[in-house]
Amino acid sequence: MPGAVESMTGTILRRLASMLPVMFIVAICVFLLLHLAPGDPASIIAGENVSPENIARIRAQLGLDQPIWKQFLVWIGALIRGDLGSSMFWGDPVASLIAQRAEPTVSLAFTTLLVAVALAIAMGVLAAARVGSWVDRLVMGFAVLGFSVPVFVVGYMLIFIFAINLKWLPVQGYTPIAEGVLPWLRNLVLPSIALGMAYVALIARITRTTMLDVLAEDYMRTARAKGVATRKMLFRHALKNAAVPIATVVGNGVALLIGGVVITETVFNIPGIGRLVVDAIARRDYPIIQGVIMVFSGVYVLVNLLVDLSYTFFDPRVRG
Amino acid sequence: MTTGLAAAGAAAAPGILAAQTRPPASRTLRVVLAGDLATYDPIWTTANITAYHGAMVYDTLFGIDDKLNPQPQMVNKYSASEDQLTWTFELRDGLKFSDGTPVTAKDCVASIKRWAVRSGTGQLMLQRLKDVTASNDKTFVVALKEKFPLLIDGFSSPATPVLFIMREKEAMTDPMQKIDTIIGSGPFVMNMAETKAGSQYVYDKSATYVPRPEPASGSTGGKIVKVDRVIFQNMPDSQTAVAALQAGEIDFYEIPPIDLLDQLDTDPGVKLINLTDLGTVGYIGLNWLHPPFNNLKLRQSLLYIVNQEEMMKPTFVDKKWYQGCGSWFTCGSPMENDANTDWFKGGQNLAKAKELMKEGGYDGKPVVVLQATNIPYMMNAATVFAQQLRTAGYNVSLQPMDWANVVQRRSNKAPPDQGGWNVFFTSSGGLSNANPYMIGGMATTGDKGWFGWPTDAKNEELRTKWINAATLADRQAAARDIQQNAWDIVPHMYYGKWSQPAAHRKNVTGWLKVPELVVFWNVAKA
Repeated sequence: MPGAVESMTGTILRRLASMLPVMFIVAICVFLLLHLAPGDPASIIAGENVSPENIARIRAQLGLDQPIWKQFLVWIGALIRGDLGSSMFWGDPVASLIAQRAEPTVSLAFTTLLVAVALAIAMGVLAAARVGSWVDRLVMGFAVLGFSVPVFVVGYMLIFIFAINLKWLPVQGYTPIAEGVLPWLRNLVLPSIALGMAYVALIARITRTTMLDVLAEDYMRTARAKGVATRKMLFRHALKNAAVPIATVVGNGVALLIGGVVITETVFNIPGIGRLVVDAIARRDYPIIQGVIMVFSGVYVLVNLLVDLSYTFFDPRVRG
Repeated sequence: MTTGLAAAGAAAAPGILAAQTRPPASRTLRVVLAGDLATYDPIWTTANITAYHGAMVYDTLFGIDDKLNPQPQMVNKYSASEDQLTWTFELRDGLKFSDGTPVTAKDCVASIKRWAVRSGTGQLMLQRLKDVTASNDKTFVVALKEKFPLLIDGFSSPATPVLFIMREKEAMTDPMQKIDTIIGSGPFVMNMAETKAGSQYVYDKSATYVPRPEPASGSTGGKIVKVDRVIFQNMPDSQTAVAALQAGEIDFYEIPPIDLLDQLDTDPGVKLINLTDLGTVGYIGLNWLHPPFNNLKLRQSLLYIVNQEEMMKPTFVDKKWYQGCGSWFTCGSPMENDANTDWFKGGQNLAKAKELMKEGGYDGKPVVVLQATNIPYMMNAATVFAQQLRTAGYNVSLQPMDWANVVQRRSNKAPPDQGGWNVFFTSSGGLSNANPYMIGGMATTGDKGWFGWPTDAKNEELRTKWINAATLADRQAAARDIQQNAWDIVPHMYYGKWSQPAAHRKNVTGWLKVPELVVFWNVAKA
């Protein structure tokens, strides 16, 4: 057993170390893509009624007149020291801007994941257990719809029905959890549903498929023959064996979630990291865009690592 | 368990405390403006939204009343010497910055110097300036080398960059570098603790501000704050902003989309309001450096091709929100006139345009039109313009991109097929466009000028004549001459004028009309 723990620790450390080159490549790509793409923050800052000379002076003040390799070295040097730089416009440190915006984004992602995973797995298991029935068709129909309808369409419909017509929930905004769990939840209900639709569809589909595979296995037939209760058979035996692909999809879906968060935060006016980056792109606030993409990439790589590690929990053969 | 609860309580405490100290909703205005407040220094940037912020936090020496006439604001009295070369200004009593320090003449001197570098009128003043000095704590003197009748107009203009008075410490900052501390002597104080950059900007009623005794009018008079707090909320999605206004979650929305105005108009809790009669003017920039529009005849052909009505309608739909305008200066402004506007009165005339294209020797070279797709009115105008050019026989390359890309690309002087351009679209405030000096696009100083780089000595002479005009009548006559010449040489064109209505909750009253600014003093919430 101590050997297994050491082996696990070694695996985690190796995987963490392998993140470094990945993040370095991400850093190079992000920097080059941004700086080679057209757009000029100095012109945006300067506004309309400004002479080209004054724009050039602002560009020089921001260091944007320096060769691109020099700008990269300055940025990567600071990044290695843990400094994400400061916004060109507000002057606030990017790290503090991200920290300020993290709570709404994490809250939204958390409530979405929680509701989506619980709902999707139940739907997927139910559809697999009643394959071919109207329940199965209903779940699959919902899955197709959930995956096809864009987040913003769902968002606007929810706002129209629940905020404007019924006046049950607020249209927009975010209340920090420190100001009360109920107000916090009230602001998150509609965005979580809107964002979770595609996620529910994705997980429900994969749950149904893997559950159908597992239910066709000999040991499940044996369990049935031995008279094991359906609920116990489905959730205790079948679901555990189907968990690895489901966990993979949940992990991969984080990318979907990150993309969806950007749109959801805009539609529901949630001051999260997604909104921060969208606004920064529009005005080419390079340090913010670079910082957020680095953080999102780091989160994505970490989630994948966690998913890989979860296999050892769900499947003892991986542990061995 | 007890430890857990204590920890949770400690973590939640700052948020709960902040929530408890916030003014009630009935004393708080939540407003959504045209965009995000990207930076706090209203001199470093000339973006309009930062001028709105400036008007909250800073005060001005002069303002303009609702008839557009300059009136003293921070200034108590002022006088000019007989030769008009020495101007003496005395500050009124009780002026204080929000940090409690008094506003002095030295603060004004430093602020004027910093503003002048960025302002069109300020630069004209600098050319004529001998010195600007503080005589004592309350008096400063502007000494000129030659007469400058626009001095007070410049000091009072609400067009960005506005002459906001900062503390000397901040005003000494290089105008090309942003200031870090936001302390002004205006009617509001920025609450940095509650402000979340990119999300909400919070302004509290200033405890130190002493309003003038006169009633509020335009950007002058008593700036009496009737709420405790104003919050600028950044809400980029217009659909969400409209829904939030209807639900009463916000009190004011500056630019509701025109296609949703009917929806707002029928809402019993919402009212539409036009906050500026001079509106906004659509500007078509033409590149004088490269074919085809380095050719006079081909520029003139555009006069007979452009149909403003067609370019405005897709965005503004109803004629009550837009109008075609043949004047070189904003329609509705004191400088509007009809000199040399037969081309406009006659409407689109493609036969005449083709004749001019033939005379100009148009050889089919593509006209590169930069189209900002993230600004709907510019995108729509550019689409229609491209089609109008094609109908006349021009070969058009319409190049879609975002605004950030347009502002970079338009500074490129290379030929259009090497990264340059022929036409771009922008807009300017109606007040700015009523003045041949307030926007760079009015100059014809060639290489040193604004994007498009037109060159015309006569226009420059006439602009100088306009500056030196002693009376309004003289200025209007000079404006007429400028226009007569401008429509002969076509330095740039317009695609119309519009008034974007704002929307507010009906229980919020007291809105003031100030061209190019939205101000929140005098506004009360029932």
